[in-house]
Amino acid sequence: MAHETMTADAAVRLWNAEADEHDPISARTYGFWLYLMSDGLIFASLIAAYAVLDNKMSAFGHPMADTLLSASQGFVQTLVLLGAVLALSLGTLGLKTGARGGLALGLAVSAALGTVFVAQGLAGLDAMAAAGNGPTASAYLSCLFVLLFTHGLHLAIGVLWSLVMLVQIFRFGFTQDVVGRLLNLRLYTQFQAAVWVVVYLYVYLFGGAH
Amino acid sequence: MATDHYQPLQHPEVQQGTALRYVGATVISGLALYGAYYVAMTRPPLAELVETLLVSLLVSLLVQAALYFGLDASRAQIWKSVTLILTVPLFLVTIGMTVWAFSSLYARTMPDPSILSSMAM
Repeated sequence: MAHETMTADAAVRLWNAEADEHDPISARTYGFWLYLMSDGLIFASLIAAYAVLDNKMSAFGHPMADTLLSASQGFVQTLVLLGAVLALSLGTLGLKTGARGGLALGLAVSAALGTVFVAQGLAGLDAMAAAGNGPTASAYLSCLFVLLFTHGLHLAIGVLWSLVMLVQIFRFGFTQDVVGRLLNLRLYTQFQAAVWVVVYLYVYLFGGAH
Repeated sequence: MATDHYQPLQHPEVQQGTALRYVGATVISGLALYGAYYVAMTRPPLAELVETLLVSLLVSLLVQAALYFGLDASRAQIWKSVTLILTVPLFLVTIGMTVWAFSSLYARTMPDPSILSSMAM
């Protein structure tokens, strides 16, 4: 009986006796993941501020999301953004076989759709400002503009990053650095879709957008 | 996290993605958001709207976490999963505590807009 117990105990490995070899790609993606978590806290702060200012007193007589924002237009933006994320994600599957063409196509389509998303967002904000409902009109509008603009700015940076990677995969090939950057770009773009889910559901749909 | 870094294309994070996962995440997430959009357009009671939006939010984010980010308990991904699990309460505390504190403050300090408008007349 005692012998059996010892045998069973010996088969259990509670830890790895040897140190892992250094893995720069995992270290980079994990470090970037930590950045994304802190980026998420920035959006959490903006959404908290929006929730606090989402009342008629803070709107100071100006219209709010229910009249300013279009739920259907927001849903079109959602589809465009999901399309950009899907294109980039499918493009990075080319890394598995070293296919530059597929990856380049994914990056290009993602950058194009990302540009459409940003253009739609900026056009919406511009129309609001032109109608006298700009960011200086009320505390509510200041927060709404900052929240939507911050997300759009993230997407614009993602588009720029995609274009840079488009150049790098042809100039440097699939080096360790380039692969690490591509994995981080995929994480970054996918994370922006997750943030938009929260923004669309809360600001647009809970806000009663028409 | 051990891997041969001299072959970056063989890295687990490169090899983990599949077309089925990415398409599935996009379709399920899109459908969850369309469901929320459809229900919101029917102008339901507030409780029903909140319930629908919360379900859509959870489905969409969980699917994205599992299929886009590939978060699981594997050796390659576990620390990202742990980090997210530890950060989610911070998101909830940041938003929840701020809203709770200011809604309470608002009720005690801000004048009723209807009273203000009657005073202006």
